[in-house]
Amino acid sequence: MFEATARNHRNRKVEGLFRLLFLWMTCMLILPVALILAVLIVRGGPAISWEFLFTQPMNNMTAGGILPALVGTVWLVVVALIASVPVGVAAALYLSEYAPDNRLTRAINLAIINLAGVPSIVHALFGLGAFVIFFRFGTSILAASLTLAVMTLPVVIVATRESLQTVPLAFREACWNMGATRWQTIRKIVLPNSISGILTGVILEVSRTSGETAPIMFTGAAFFLPFLPQGVLDQTMAMSLHLFVISTQVPDVPEHMPFGVALVLISMVLAMNGISIAFRVYLRGRKKW
Amino acid sequence: MKNLTTRPALVPCTLALAAALVAACGGGSGSRSVIQNKGSDTLVNVAQAWAEEYAALRPGTAVAVTGGGSGTGIAAMINGTVDIANSSRKMKDSEIELARGNGNEPIEFVVGYDALAVYLHPDNPMDEVSLEQLAALYGEGGDVDTWSQYGVEVPGCSSDEIVRVSRQNNSGTYVYFREAVLGERRDFRLGSRDMHGSKDVVDLVENTPCAIGYSGFAYATDHVKMPCVRKGEDGDCVSPSVDSAIDGSYPIARPLFMYTAGQPEGAIREYIDWVLSDEGQCIIYEKGYAPRTDVDCS
Repeated sequence: MFEATARNHRNRKVEGLFRLLFLWMTCMLILPVALILAVLIVRGGPAISWEFLFTQPMNNMTAGGILPALVGTVWLVVVALIASVPVGVAAALYLSEYAPDNRLTRAINLAIINLAGVPSIVHALFGLGAFVIFFRFGTSILAASLTLAVMTLPVVIVATRESLQTVPLAFREACWNMGATRWQTIRKIVLPNSISGILTGVILEVSRTSGETAPIMFTGAAFFLPFLPQGVLDQTMAMSLHLFVISTQVPDVPEHMPFGVALVLISMVLAMNGISIAFRVYLRGRKKW
Repeated sequence: MKNLTTRPALVPCTLALAAALVAACGGGSGSRSVIQNKGSDTLVNVAQAWAEEYAALRPGTAVAVTGGGSGTGIAAMINGTVDIANSSRKMKDSEIELARGNGNEPIEFVVGYDALAVYLHPDNPMDEVSLEQLAALYGEGGDVDTWSQYGVEVPGCSSDEIVRVSRQNNSGTYVYFREAVLGERRDFRLGSRDMHGSKDVVDLVENTPCAIGYSGFAYATDHVKMPCVRKGEDGDCVSPSVDSAIDGSYPIARPLFMYTAGQPEGAIREYIDWVLSDEGQCIIYEKGYAPRTDVDCS
């Protein structure tokens, strides 16, 4: 009854062709990532050792380790998180749970999207003008982290809002019908059910902040510091800037060092992303709907 | 329904912990005095070497070094965000006025001298170059575009076209080269490759047979050639070296500066004094720059 016509055959051929084409494109996507990782591991691998991770740079940063840069990046990320997560989550809660759908809300949404599109170097100049000079924080971890926080706020807001919206409305309605207030509903029902998405946003922010160079260059990162930062008003070294510095500014750096720094940096980011995915899977497994 | 009411205890806990951490650590490094030192890319590696050595010598003082270019350091001095600005050119009167306007009187210290070397690819047969030849190549209205106009044929450079390598315009090296080679009023010609660091210039020339560039002598490697430089057609051709920069015979050697905001006091004074001492000057010598006075570093 259903004889294959010539048209069917042609369609099947075209179908197969597109399938191959798309597969090929996908492979092209993975190829650069795989190549970068392979090159970093082969050329940077020999540099990695306990001494490399846990000692000060020596001899004009051509020997020794990267401890101050590693510690500095952790400082920058932690302080940026402290500044941006509460604000970002609160903003997302307002936009998702309280805000009426009016012009103001739409304008705020538009602003958030635009904030996400601002180039990082512009954020850097904003941070220099606002935090370093106007608020007199000086070039410090505080100024750099606040700049990073402003820059990554949209990531947190968007991720949080999206995960809040995955909580079915019926859950909220059931809660309201029991006489709970909005805040009680948020605290007991909405947040616990969207925590995995929020954490994903936070971890994405971590991986982005740890790699940024431009926003910290003018606001808090130093070419060289002979000590580890002691507080938020100290300047600091950072992995991303250190990589830039030893690959473009310092003569006679042994070739494996920049690759080693890049490998450590990318491992940090990949580990963060890995944790994020694992967390998500774990929390999703506990969902009961 | 039980797990729907699980509290998201993790987030507030982490935040509280982190906040406590910051609070416990306080604002900045308490008893230690931190000197902010920023500016010239030419000086940045010496500044770093000084800071590294000084940290071992006086653990109570820490010098935070940042690069960015002479212009960056001078702008920071004007804004009052540094203690010591490094510069490979003199501050302009207009810049000094601006700094004064903000209550920062810049005090100048010459911390050494730098020979500006001309860099060529090792295969380039050219052994000497005059300032006039450089001006005809780099200066506005100049008419030299090809190696054959200099009377040389460069192996590996089939196009014969000269790739001009220069620096970004907030670099002190850029400003000094313009003053010393092109003359105060003459501008650079468009079409050069403007690099963002002293080392970048040497790296590019090393890998480009058609290229010529200028950068501090301290950035020389074994894989580039440095022709001797002549002033005028009949002048002596002098090779760039620390010695020829010290005795003044090399035509494009320049002083390197540190500026402090007001007469330096306390830790900053001690640091500047140490930089200018024989010990500090020997470090700049080891890095391939000329010290400000004759010192015995053996």
